[in-house]
Amino acid sequence: MASVSANILAVDDSPSLRSLVREALELDGHHVTEACDGRDALARLESSSERLDLVITDLYMPIMDGLTLVKAIRDSARHRFTPVVLLTTESGEEMKQRGREAGATGWLVKPFRIDDLRHVVTQVVSAAVRRGTSERG
Amino acid sequence: MSSNGRHASVNPRPTHGDTGRPEVTIGLGEAYATREPTVIKTLVGSCVAVCYWDSEARVGGMNHFLVPGSAEDDAIRFGVHAMDLLMCEMMRAGAERSRIRARIFGGAHALNLEAGDDSVAGRNVRFVRTFMQREAIDVLTEDLGGARPRLVRFQTDVGLATARPNTSGRMMALLLATERSEVVKAREYGTVTLF
Repeated sequence: MASVSANILAVDDSPSLRSLVREALELDGHHVTEACDGRDALARLESSSERLDLVITDLYMPIMDGLTLVKAIRDSARHRFTPVVLLTTESGEEMKQRGREAGATGWLVKPFRIDDLRHVVTQVVSAAVRRGTSERG
Repeated sequence: MSSNGRHASVNPRPTHGDTGRPEVTIGLGEAYATREPTVIKTLVGSCVAVCYWDSEARVGGMNHFLVPGSAEDDAIRFGVHAMDLLMCEMMRAGAERSRIRARIFGGAHALNLEAGDDSVAGRNVRFVRTFMQREAIDVLTEDLGGARPRLVRFQTDVGLATARPNTSGRMMALLLATERSEVVKAREYGTVTLF
């Protein structure tokens, strides 16, 4: 499905959910690393020497939630253009709007189809590459 | 919150039972959590009901799910989503993941459709045990398997859960209708929005 192999950070407090995401995206040749909450994700973003193409994050997490993570990424000089997709049980328009205002790129409601996830990742990563807005390390 | 997917949180219409607490009944594919003293009820046969409790925040919640039998991957995926929904509801209500403990019920061969590890009940039991281990969630009570459906009641403010075996004709008919409805519900998923 994917035409671009991407470096993706999957953020979720559930190891089972992170595995689902990682295994689905590795089918398309993406390289997926994992973080267990927003703070862990930020630490990995700052310490990584590699380019990061996409962050996929849960909304409700301990320590730092998904919306706070999105805002922190948008405030980061290094990663402010990195696409962020929220993966959440929240389907209400008000929460989606909050996600958009925080700077999220997309909103995928659980339970998700594996193919939907793969398709969203392909679209977002390809668009970022076309625009040349991916972080280049 | 309501999801258009198979696993939905519920908008309860509480009734007051003999405990004086509001009572909320959940069905297959639903989850509910609250910090208000409440009794959450459900009837499970081969399905599983998981009760989560955060004793410090006094937040309790329950889900009711059945993993489909189409493939092991589907079973894991749907089960994970059902558990994820309950955890999200708990955190929305003020619980902290690290404090949450579980009580798990169900997985009975209640309808005598099939038996053994590859049955629906067997898959549900296998899934929930593996999940709790993987997620490092302590299980305080495990009442799984057997042949009779269970009426599960959970008092959210004290974390007390009871599972009473129930084989009345009315309950069995309700159970049969509920578990057959799984076939329809298993095809529903969430939406995708790109901003």
